[in-house]
Amino acid sequence: MNSPLRRRQFLGLSAAAAVTAALAACGGPSTSGGSAPQAAADVDFTGVKPAASFDFWSNHPGQSEDAEKKLIAAFQAKHPDIKVNLVTGGKDYEEIAQKFQAAQAAKSDLPALVVLSDVWWFRYYMNKSIIPLDGLLKQLDFQLDDFQKTLVDDYGYDSKQWAMPYARSTPLFYYNKDRFAAAGLPDRAPKTWAEFAEWAPKLKAVSKAQYSFMYPALAGYAGWTLQNNLWGEGGGWSKEWDFTTDSDANVKALQFVQDSVYKDNWAGVSSKDSAVDFAAGIASATLASTGSLLTVLKNAKFNVGVGFMPGGSVSTSPVCPTGGAGLGIPAGVPKEQQLAAATFLKFVTEPENTALFSAATGYMPTRKSADMSAVLAKTPQIKIAMDQLTVTHKQDNARVFLPGADQEMAKTAAAILTQKADVKSSLTDLKGKLEGIYTKDVKPKLGK
Amino acid sequence: MTHTDISRRTAPPVTEPPRASVTAPERRSARRGWSPRRRRDFLIFLAFAAPNLLLIAVFTYLPLLNNIYYSTLDWTLGSPDAAVVGLGNYVTFFTSDDAPRVLGTTAVFMLFTVGGSMALGLLVALALNTKARGTTFARAAVFAPYVLSGVGVGLVWLFIFDPGYGVLSWIFRSFGAKSPEWINDPQLALVMVIVVYVWKNLGYCAVVFLAGLQSLPTEVMEAASLDGANGVRRFLSISLPLLSPTTFFLLITTMLSSLQAFDLIRIMTPLGNGTSTLIYEAYLQAFGAYNRAGYSAAISVVLFAILLVVTVLQLRFVEKKVHYA
Repeated sequence: MNSPLRRRQFLGLSAAAAVTAALAACGGPSTSGGSAPQAAADVDFTGVKPAASFDFWSNHPGQSEDAEKKLIAAFQAKHPDIKVNLVTGGKDYEEIAQKFQAAQAAKSDLPALVVLSDVWWFRYYMNKSIIPLDGLLKQLDFQLDDFQKTLVDDYGYDSKQWAMPYARSTPLFYYNKDRFAAAGLPDRAPKTWAEFAEWAPKLKAVSKAQYSFMYPALAGYAGWTLQNNLWGEGGGWSKEWDFTTDSDANVKALQFVQDSVYKDNWAGVSSKDSAVDFAAGIASATLASTGSLLTVLKNAKFNVGVGFMPGGSVSTSPVCPTGGAGLGIPAGVPKEQQLAAATFLKFVTEPENTALFSAATGYMPTRKSADMSAVLAKTPQIKIAMDQLTVTHKQDNARVFLPGADQEMAKTAAAILTQKADVKSSLTDLKGKLEGIYTKDVKPKLGK
Repeated sequence: MTHTDISRRTAPPVTEPPRASVTAPERRSARRGWSPRRRRDFLIFLAFAAPNLLLIAVFTYLPLLNNIYYSTLDWTLGSPDAAVVGLGNYVTFFTSDDAPRVLGTTAVFMLFTVGGSMALGLLVALALNTKARGTTFARAAVFAPYVLSGVGVGLVWLFIFDPGYGVLSWIFRSFGAKSPEWINDPQLALVMVIVVYVWKNLGYCAVVFLAGLQSLPTEVMEAASLDGANGVRRFLSISLPLLSPTTFFLLITTMLSSLQAFDLIRIMTPLGNGTSTLIYEAYLQAFGAYNRAGYSAAISVVLFAILLVVTVLQLRFVEKKVHYA
């Protein structure tokens, strides 16, 4: 065992392994430095022919897998020369984002079309992971005038279009019509939170429900839906890149929220999904995505009412944020695949197809000319979501453009709503964190 | 006192036999002179060992080296560009609020999961070490959670802890109390994850302790009984000291497992609010939200260093004390 030859062979093998490892360690991102990163340039598709197949990564938002398969079948009937491989990229927006970023890091197995949520697409823009769609939209003659403008504008930055709306939603106010009637309340959503605060004790008195109102689960939703409370009081997480997080308006808004849980004792915070809690009868009202509408209607054993989001003491409109997901085209795949993906993108956003998707999920149709009569005849509540679209507000930069901001907002909300933390100091801490993320992770990439 | 001449105590010079000077050409010649059998043995050795060595190099050491390299970069996951920052990520970690928060959570989680699993495991092992009826079934039942999927266990326990419609909530309400916010409150979330982790892992400790208890020399116990020692006395003075190698072995292995606990934390508290241990923070920083791949790699290296220290302790002390016979 101790012969010099064996020892040398071992040493040789070890050295070879070490060298291989060291060489490989030199892979990964480029560290050559240079100027501030610039966004991916628009791609010229002149003379390019669509690929015979491409991968479409989806998390099937709103349990839409069957609807997506139907859309793909219809597309392939119309375009038999392009095969769409539907790949489940995760169960939610976070999981599909992880898978997509891991593929970006590995520089392999990238899809040509990917679902990207409101809080993720901007990171892909900063990382040059997606291409601007302007050239493709023009070449394939997308009827941009017919799209819901606010939904398209959500994906605009630096005078370019980075994604197109797909599974788009807004929060809705859901209420238990039966309990509202029993409490002698009008059959509508409250116009303001102050009005609901007057209703809440009556609701609690007539029902055995634990809560009159259930705030949405904090993970992933606190930053989104609390914008409604902040905007109603004239506040917001930020104004462009100015972080107004601990403004007096915000403190007032979140103090009301905290009081509803601790002082007035009519509200609770969902642990997983407020739509599920509401459908189970645990609360008499809640805020949840339009994407939950069909599930709630199916599962609730009472009459469900939906309405616009309540306003605040400063503003009653617009106080509803847009949300949901769009579709983007990754930068690291061949042009042919990108063109094929764009062809499919155009197909799924056509009026009849967005209506089909809306009927299957409860998400909003992204085209003005979508014929929703059949859908509305079956599910009239979707009309409320469509009407509310006209009074929606683009989300604050702090929530959708800062990596990890949503998580920090959720943690702050948890401190305020479950640990009775001081509202002002919690928001001041959050402001510091948001500014830190902006300074370190965003500002350098904006080239400013 | 007599003076001793040190020189007298010096060992007499040993006359070494003349060493045959071996020159390089002779060594090469010796190598060439390998017998066919030795050469064949070596080739067989290579044939068996090389694939494993290659796999270990590619899937263990290569990612490890890559990770150390990435920890020196300011790199956003998915970005094609990165800047070399040297030890910057480590400085950031240890000088920010992250270090006390994450290391504190890791320490609390490890302390209670290791302590809880071992203490309850020992109690269960003592119960199973009796000749009562049904111990075989009880042994299987106690060990079963250990082999269950962490994801499944996490999902089921989430239903139990749910303040809205969980079993615990129902119990609290039946006493007229409001259910604690197990999932949303960061402090209670850590308690919740620790409870579930201990429940899932105490079976492992119980089975190992049981094996240790059953291998204790019976004659010592009998002698102690004859001397009038009661059960508690026998346990404290005989069983527990004799179990020390088992205890130390379990301490190290459960510590390593605890430091690498991920699935339950991920499923039960995806936000990591109050439950972000080193390994979960590394995940959150890279994949969960912030996309700081370099910073995440630095946290992973810190975790690796801690695991290495624990492993070295195991190699230096446990190997000497554990009786495998």
